[in-house]
Amino acid sequence: MAWTWFHRLGSPPYIYGLAARLTPWFAWPAAGLIIYALYAGLAVAPADYQQGEGYRIIFLHAPSAWMSVMVYTTMAISAAVGLIWRIKVAHAVAASCATLGATFTFATLVTGSLWGKPMWGTYWAWDPRVTFELLLLFLYLAYMALRSAFDDIQRADRVSAVLAVVGVVNVPIIHYSVIWWNSLHQAPSVMKLGKPTMPPEMYIPMLAMFLGFTLLFGALLFTRLRAEVLNRERTASWIRDVVNA
Amino acid sequence: MEFLSMGGYAQYVWPSYLIVLAAIVLNIVWARRALARAKLDARKRLAMSAPPAGAKGELA
Repeated sequence: MAWTWFHRLGSPPYIYGLAARLTPWFAWPAAGLIIYALYAGLAVAPADYQQGEGYRIIFLHAPSAWMSVMVYTTMAISAAVGLIWRIKVAHAVAASCATLGATFTFATLVTGSLWGKPMWGTYWAWDPRVTFELLLLFLYLAYMALRSAFDDIQRADRVSAVLAVVGVVNVPIIHYSVIWWNSLHQAPSVMKLGKPTMPPEMYIPMLAMFLGFTLLFGALLFTRLRAEVLNRERTASWIRDVVNA
Repeated sequence: MEFLSMGGYAQYVWPSYLIVLAAIVLNIVWARRALARAKLDARKRLAMSAPPAGAKGELA
């Protein structure tokens, strides 16, 4: 009995309907939080005592970086679930993550580069964290290239899942890189235990942006997941009802 | 005007905001387009595999 919810989650029509119902509950709060955080981060939070107004890049750089690793972790876990239990819906979740993750990894690298020029004196440094974030982008791109190399969705799912699972070792490396190595990159100021190293006027917009991005990921994942489920279900009879509605 | 100059960091701050907002907007557009495309493909498949009696023209 206790496992019925788990079985339902593997059922394509159930997941399709659930994703459709949940999307607005994630999308609208995400929009509200992101708009609030943009305003508070740009106009309310005080200037940094060392970096002046230049530090405001952090309000988008750090949440983008969070997005890039959160999406990858989701992709790797669902790929593993898909491989181990042969659940089609899990593979569909993994496939829904790649484009989104790649875009935000790219955005993380570009915003980091734009922040690096005035603060580190260079657009690009082979700093450990920067290098492993670049590797993350290549992992996403390799995953997408691998998927598109197969016409058969089931084979694409299985082969790309192996890559996703193997690549997940990069996630803790990115996270701990600033602690393990001497790094130009600053230490964590949000994703850490204990007290934040920022005043509340900076910390609250930052948290709002993290939460907003996380909810945005949910809304985008649900939308893409519905597309992936439809593509996998071919001609199942339940599809007729949802595509003609 | 003072706000727009970002204390001399405008050339770094504004492009950063622009690129991330572009990433958000593009992902919304792409996700919605992927779903619309999948629905269209499914409709075509269903019409080809088992056309229900009297349902001609349902494809449109």
